[in-house]
Amino acid sequence: MTSTATLVNDVSAQRSSSAAIRQTLALAKRSTLELFRQPALVVPSIVFPLFFSFLGNSSFGKTTSLPGFPKVNSYLQFQLAGTITQGVLFGSVTGAAALATDIENGFFDRLLASPTSRLSILFGRLAGSVLFGALETAVFVLVLLPFGADVSAGVPGIIAMIISGALIALAVGALMSSVALKTGSSEAVQGTFPLLFILLFFSSAFFPRETMSGVYKTVAGLNPISHLVEGLRALSLEGFSVSATARAILVPMAIAIVALYIASRQLHARLRAN
Amino acid sequence: MSNSPIIAENLVRHFGDVHAVKGINLDIKAGEVFGFLGPNGAGKSTAVRMLTTLLRPTSGTARVAGYDVVAQADQVRRNIGVALQDAAIDPLMTGAELLALQAVLYGIPAAAVKKRSGELLERVGLTAAASRRVSTYSGGMRRRLDLALSLIHQPTVLFLDEPTTGLDPMSRLTLWEEVRRLNHEGTTVMLTTQYLEEVDQLADRIAIIDHGKIVREGKPAELKASVGAPTLIINTHIDQAEKAKAVLSTFGDLRPGAEGALGVGLRGGASQVTEVVRKLDEAGVHVQHLEINEPSLDDVFAEATGHRLEGADNAPSAGDNGDDEPKKKKRRGRK
Repeated sequence: MTSTATLVNDVSAQRSSSAAIRQTLALAKRSTLELFRQPALVVPSIVFPLFFSFLGNSSFGKTTSLPGFPKVNSYLQFQLAGTITQGVLFGSVTGAAALATDIENGFFDRLLASPTSRLSILFGRLAGSVLFGALETAVFVLVLLPFGADVSAGVPGIIAMIISGALIALAVGALMSSVALKTGSSEAVQGTFPLLFILLFFSSAFFPRETMSGVYKTVAGLNPISHLVEGLRALSLEGFSVSATARAILVPMAIAIVALYIASRQLHARLRAN
Repeated sequence: MSNSPIIAENLVRHFGDVHAVKGINLDIKAGEVFGFLGPNGAGKSTAVRMLTTLLRPTSGTARVAGYDVVAQADQVRRNIGVALQDAAIDPLMTGAELLALQAVLYGIPAAAVKKRSGELLERVGLTAAASRRVSTYSGGMRRRLDLALSLIHQPTVLFLDEPTTGLDPMSRLTLWEEVRRLNHEGTTVMLTTQYLEEVDQLADRIAIIDHGKIVREGKPAELKASVGAPTLIINTHIDQAEKAKAVLSTFGDLRPGAEGALGVGLRGGASQVTEVVRKLDEAGVHVQHLEINEPSLDDVFAEATGHRLEGADNAPSAGDNGDDEPKKKKRRGRK
């Protein structure tokens, strides 16, 4: 048997950032395994956005000729960014709900009773969402591409889209994790689902802002989801450029930074409350 | 200052208006199994959560494994093993995966993880189930895995919060055996329970907690003796009754026994039985039947609190059939 002294020495030497990284990676592996072992949670996040995408294509296919609609090969090419955003939004709720479940069933306490870095607990959970967001983006592009969802920016654009999808997952996952840490309730996290759905419909996910009018147009302009979608859409429609790529990546990155700050504050608040 | 591995001084915890723990003092010596006995809501788990750094005390201090639970919480966590109530184990992971995760969290070198996990799985009898998801485990298997997880870094102090609640008798016995083995190897164990039999079987010393206060503390035999000496009952041939009475009276007050049996309240406790039998034998008394009736810890609890331990009569003993499903409880929101 390994000697106690050896283990204790090794353990006490573990206060470095490399230990925190190792802990984060181990927890990320757990959250990823957990996600993919629940197909009932994973599949709807992929299937429903694809369903809405095809439904939208057949229902709104002719709207592409409306004045103000950008020049596209098909409605699917326009819709691809909305589909990605929709799928990633819903997938990220699943990850945050899992964090709330950890709090409910006591696994969170198991982690807190160990010398695990507190931020590793949060980042480990978010890493699973980020990976899933990237995967969802790749799946949506690959599935919709043969049906006319061209990406004008080509392969580099697809790579940028995948990075953008991952960052959107990070941003939304961090915001939803704040709800999980605040309430400790998976039902409360899942309760945000209708709110996200409403936000999605009051954005430019399905129609360009140029075709909107009145209050709807104002709300869509203020809605951060519009800006996430439009960053991705620039890669779909405008071809590969530094400005399109920066828009697709920097907007979700900025939101992710703010969301991570909020989530880490919420984690701190939960720990202080104990 | 005492160098005991678990020390609490006037430890208090309030949740708003609820005073869950009202100033407890503990001094648990190295190598002890210390039983913390009380009904639901008595403050056992709150006390353990403070000692394991999961809750901050409202006031008072505690040192565990030589470190302050507030100021040196991280050092405390590195040196203790914790198996909390309800065995919070991710059902989607396998036993081996959870052990590997726990090993990383405690900073065990990657090269040692497989060996250490293998040793622990073998120790708790889960080698064959190591690659199965926890969702397929029985309640007893989950508790054993929980114990293995808490031992991954070979802690010197182990906290077990109601480790056998909801387990069937066989699983309970297996877990008790493992606790004894760990203690034999030198681990200090603090065990909370609402089962009288559990502390009777395992604990060197116990504290009885009720409404957030420790109302009695000591060795189980001493506590039971404090509410009355155990009664030794013997049956012998009527011709030898006088000789037997003479011997028995040297050990305590004679007490009437049913249907001609002789009884004596053993002043020195049940450990005197061997000596009594030897003296009777030396006096030429042939003992046909012998039994000892101990005062129970429930008697101690009742004497200290004025009421019986909740559920004590219903607690499944090692001879009963119990429910193997751990109770489900949701923990949410802030305390």
